[in-house]
Amino acid sequence: MRSMKRLAVLVLGLTLVAAACGDDASGGGDLLADVVERGVVRCGVNDVLPGFGIVDDTGAFSGFDVELCRVVAAGVLGDADAVEFVGLTAGERFTALQSGEIDVLIRNTTWTATRDGQEGATFLFTTFYDGQGIMVPTATGFTSLEDLADANICVLQATTTELNLTAVFNARGIPFNPVGFADNNLLRPAYEEGQCEAWTSDVSQLTAFKATIEGEGGAAQTILPDVISKEPLGPLVRDGDSAWAQAVEWSVMATVQAWEFGIDSSNVAGYTSDDPNVKNFLGVDGFETGIGLPTDFVVQIISQVGNYEEIYNRNLIPIGLPLAGTPNDLWSNGGLMYVPPYR
Amino acid sequence: MTGRPFMEPGLEEPILVIDEGRRDKLPPGKWVRRHLFNSWHNTLVTVLLVLLLGYAAYRFGLFLFVNGRWSPVRRNLTLFMVGRYPREELWRIVAQVVIWSGTIGLAWGVAIAGASFRASQTGVAYREDPLLTKVRRYWGLLGLLLLLLLLTESFGPLILALVAIGVGALLQVIGKRVPGQYADLMWAAVGVLAVGGYQIVSGFHGRGWIWMATPLALGAVRLVGRIAWTDPRRERLMQLGVVAGVFGIGYVAYSMLDLEGVGWDHWEGLHLNLIVATVAIVLAFPLGLLLALARRSSLPALRVMATSYIELIRGVPLISLLLMAQFFIGFFLNTTTPLSALTRAIAAFTLFTAAYIAEIVRGGLQSVPKGQIEAGQSVGLSPFRVTRSIVLPQALRAVIPAMVGQFIALFKDTSLLSIIGMAEILQVRALVHAQAEFRGFGIAETLVFVMLAFWAFSFTMSRESQRLERKLGIGER
Amino acid sequence: MTDTRARSAGRRTSTVWYRNIRVRRAIAQVVAVIGVITLGWWLFSNLVTNLNRLNINTDFGFLGRPTQFQIPYDEGFNPRSSVWSMVLVGVKNTFLAGSFGIILATVTGIVVGVSRLSSNWLVARIATLFVETLRNIPPLVVIIFFGFALFTFGPFPIITEADQYSFFGSDHNVLILSNTVWGIPSLIAEDGAGIFWIGVLFGFVAAGLVARWRTGVFDRTGRAHHRVILALGTFAILAFTGYLVAGDAYSLSWPALGESGRRIVGGLQLNWGFIAVTIGLGLYTASHIAEIIRGSILAVPKGQSEAANAIALSSFQRYRFVVLPQSLRIAVPPIINQYLNLMKNTSLGVAVAYAEITSLTLTSIGNGRPAPQSIVVLMGVYLAFSLTISFVLNAYNRRIQLVER
Repeated sequence: MRSMKRLAVLVLGLTLVAAACGDDASGGGDLLADVVERGVVRCGVNDVLPGFGIVDDTGAFSGFDVELCRVVAAGVLGDADAVEFVGLTAGERFTALQSGEIDVLIRNTTWTATRDGQEGATFLFTTFYDGQGIMVPTATGFTSLEDLADANICVLQATTTELNLTAVFNARGIPFNPVGFADNNLLRPAYEEGQCEAWTSDVSQLTAFKATIEGEGGAAQTILPDVISKEPLGPLVRDGDSAWAQAVEWSVMATVQAWEFGIDSSNVAGYTSDDPNVKNFLGVDGFETGIGLPTDFVVQIISQVGNYEEIYNRNLIPIGLPLAGTPNDLWSNGGLMYVPPYR
Repeated sequence: MTGRPFMEPGLEEPILVIDEGRRDKLPPGKWVRRHLFNSWHNTLVTVLLVLLLGYAAYRFGLFLFVNGRWSPVRRNLTLFMVGRYPREELWRIVAQVVIWSGTIGLAWGVAIAGASFRASQTGVAYREDPLLTKVRRYWGLLGLLLLLLLLTESFGPLILALVAIGVGALLQVIGKRVPGQYADLMWAAVGVLAVGGYQIVSGFHGRGWIWMATPLALGAVRLVGRIAWTDPRRERLMQLGVVAGVFGIGYVAYSMLDLEGVGWDHWEGLHLNLIVATVAIVLAFPLGLLLALARRSSLPALRVMATSYIELIRGVPLISLLLMAQFFIGFFLNTTTPLSALTRAIAAFTLFTAAYIAEIVRGGLQSVPKGQIEAGQSVGLSPFRVTRSIVLPQALRAVIPAMVGQFIALFKDTSLLSIIGMAEILQVRALVHAQAEFRGFGIAETLVFVMLAFWAFSFTMSRESQRLERKLGIGER
Repeated sequence: MTDTRARSAGRRTSTVWYRNIRVRRAIAQVVAVIGVITLGWWLFSNLVTNLNRLNINTDFGFLGRPTQFQIPYDEGFNPRSSVWSMVLVGVKNTFLAGSFGIILATVTGIVVGVSRLSSNWLVARIATLFVETLRNIPPLVVIIFFGFALFTFGPFPIITEADQYSFFGSDHNVLILSNTVWGIPSLIAEDGAGIFWIGVLFGFVAAGLVARWRTGVFDRTGRAHHRVILALGTFAILAFTGYLVAGDAYSLSWPALGESGRRIVGGLQLNWGFIAVTIGLGLYTASHIAEIIRGSILAVPKGQSEAANAIALSSFQRYRFVVLPQSLRIAVPPIINQYLNLMKNTSLGVAVAYAEITSLTLTSIGNGRPAPQSIVVLMGVYLAFSLTISFVLNAYNRRIQLVER
């Protein structure tokens, strides 16, 4: 009897578990419509990366990548605040994207062939051209990679930086010792106290840390001239949903096009131009692109968030990253920021 | 070896207590001589240790009060407590703290009332601890509270702390005054308050009615049981009706109210540590109980399955289960909307804790004398009734201290959430040190702060469990 | 519990079959097994469906492919080594940190546990302080704390200015201390090592025989047995003979700073992650072991000590033959549990960049290896560890429990 009753409880429990686990997975497909219906974009970001994604003391997100999430929300939903930010670690970001926990991943993720091929992700327009560099305390007198023989080199665990480092040093036959840290919050003091003689990361990050270390009266730092990799960073979406991918991509590219046209958040409201390209871009006269975004999506993006230059100036200039003359400048100024026309 | 026999409460045999420093009443001079300088080598050890301890205390004090750069903690105190929880909804957490403080107070009071009720029945006088003893008992938590208040920038937290303590004390007095025979109804009230405190944050909507209706229904059943029924069948019927009514009303009320709150995915900071530990132990308890019963069962198939689950889970570190949760636990289910990261993590915590609870409960089951079971069988109780009414009550009473111990371990283990990037209190450090003004600033201080937070809670709880152990007399071997 | 019912039900052969308790038991078990299998199958098929839907492969072929990264402080490993060899390195490091941690935890735990019972009030209080501080802080935080306190913000110089200690007049360093890696002398096996170990084996067997013989003599005649001294003596003589015959089976390797001055060559190198994990976990676990030791000593009834006094045993004899054997019996099972916990907790080495198996698995997943399979391998490794330890120690535990009963 006892066992029968217990069994009944067990079976009941299992049924409950099964019932609680919900029904068939038939969703997917039209993410754009889902997002519009839900009224909020779920965006995976970094929450511990100065300049790109951090959390302030009120718990609010800010940073370059974070503002791009707001751009997507403004473009798709007309409301830049309709974003649910999900802070992700480097290890879990692709799983979060694949499983549908987030709609778009804007978390300083490098576009590589294997990631495109194996992680079930589609990379979109590159929003920031970075490269991996190496920083050393100036006092060490290191000037080239060869000087770093046998050095302890600090690196963030589970990122492509580790692979690049290994590849380059092995190719040149320089012995080294990589020390992988889980986050910068452990890595930085280790570097400052001399537990590693060099720090390799994206140049944008090294620049930011160089500025803060020196700004706080620490030792002078040198970023070696060798840039050992290409790191194009941009938004990613799941494979197999081109409508959503296009919506995200054209929203993000609108910030660059607006910059090119000289449209920013201060003048977009009453902006008039005889240029038909500009008119189409701003959705005047009901110009319809057919990519599933509202006609006024550009106006919403620029008025609520701003153009690329504004976003850059707000987030990356303060951490010491110049814009003019870098690959992130407009193509007309010699940079790489070139977007297809809105017509 | 200059001790004297000392009768430890709860222990049957006198044991040799050498550490009797506070207990004997010697004049100070004599006491010092006996306990610190009773031989030349003890004198040497004492002198060396005093010097060492003095230096350590000096360095720590210097760090804490003079050199410490506490501004990262001071500025981000809210972030440490609740993380990115939306600030405009902060009133919910304030209400939760007050309600739960009241819940604890009420539970405490009811427990005392129950104890003195039982004591009056057995003829042993119940004596309550004086206030000073209580303060001394909770000095860890009080110390943390004081430290927190030193670090705040406004009076809000101070007022909150006072209100919460006040409400707790008030409800404790109320709980104490209610006669002991109404303890079951009061426990139902405690349950309602606990669930209410949770739902004030999570919202009164969706399936929340189940949790709210459960303690209410239990209370209602007990209430019905108080009426002197002539026909037991009628009583059963009435109880069934009441339960159905409560659940029906709960369902309707929740679907009509539909008050959205802030879902647990947005709970962070120290709040998250406490919630994850609590939720996981609440969810894991029934599972662990079933596993323990299955492992002690006379059916080999059940025994083998339960044993292999328990040994499998206990053989791997929690972090591997958390990684599993992070990467692919969601794939085991067939859901349209993916489970959130926190839900998956809580699932891992629950599966993990259930195995440990099963072992604790098994210990409790083993501690029930066989004579008890045989006595139950001899009066013709079914095996189910024997387990339900004789074995479990005794076994579960015996495992309370071990369960508190498991809760402490679980609370400490919530720090592992930081490895999978969830913003619990340890991970908040990473957020803080990514902020422009605190990059690489006050790293040791924030770590010490987090250590103190963990320590204060664990220390208080472990003290409580030791006290419980003595009170319940389970220490005896 | 149900046995009595089962027997009585079995005698009444006239009952309907479905009321027969044996049938019921069988049915209950079959249903339970089917239920669990169904649940398992349902979960598994979901997993496969989802992995296929998301285009995640499920084969373990990645284990044979190169990792393309390097492991810190491991010169034998290169980026072309396979993921499988990475797993082996991780296992080795986990085992190293775990076993050193266990030694530290045991020694410290016993010292602190006994100190808590000291007649010196201050010693007892400090031991209490140690226990109550460490055991109430999460081990993860303890490890990070020791990483910071010893190395990052600690007293040791950077590697290029490392402290080198040597015996007076000797060229060899016995100790090199820096804030990244420490060097200590180590033994290197030479050609004769095999012969030496045969000598050791012989010594071991002979010592066992001697001990048995002396025990037998003691049991028969009651004369002093001296079995420990005699057995150890036999062992030492045979082992030393083996060493002489083998002709320098081992040579010492001394640590020294390398050419670049940025690494240590020779000797045994302990990196800071290893030390932080070992000390952090060792002391954390010691706080638990101390409580177990204290409790187990207190649990030996005082009558036992008094009886020992009554037959005029010395203080040492009282401890060695009366108190310790009894308290050990109580203490061993929970201490085994603590060892297992410590072994599993080495997974927290992630926090201080120690290259144990969890940390390496995380790195490997971050570099594009499939997560589900990697985690399955990880869990398998830990299971093997835990089962081995609990098997060996439970066997020991069974032995001492039987001897005492």
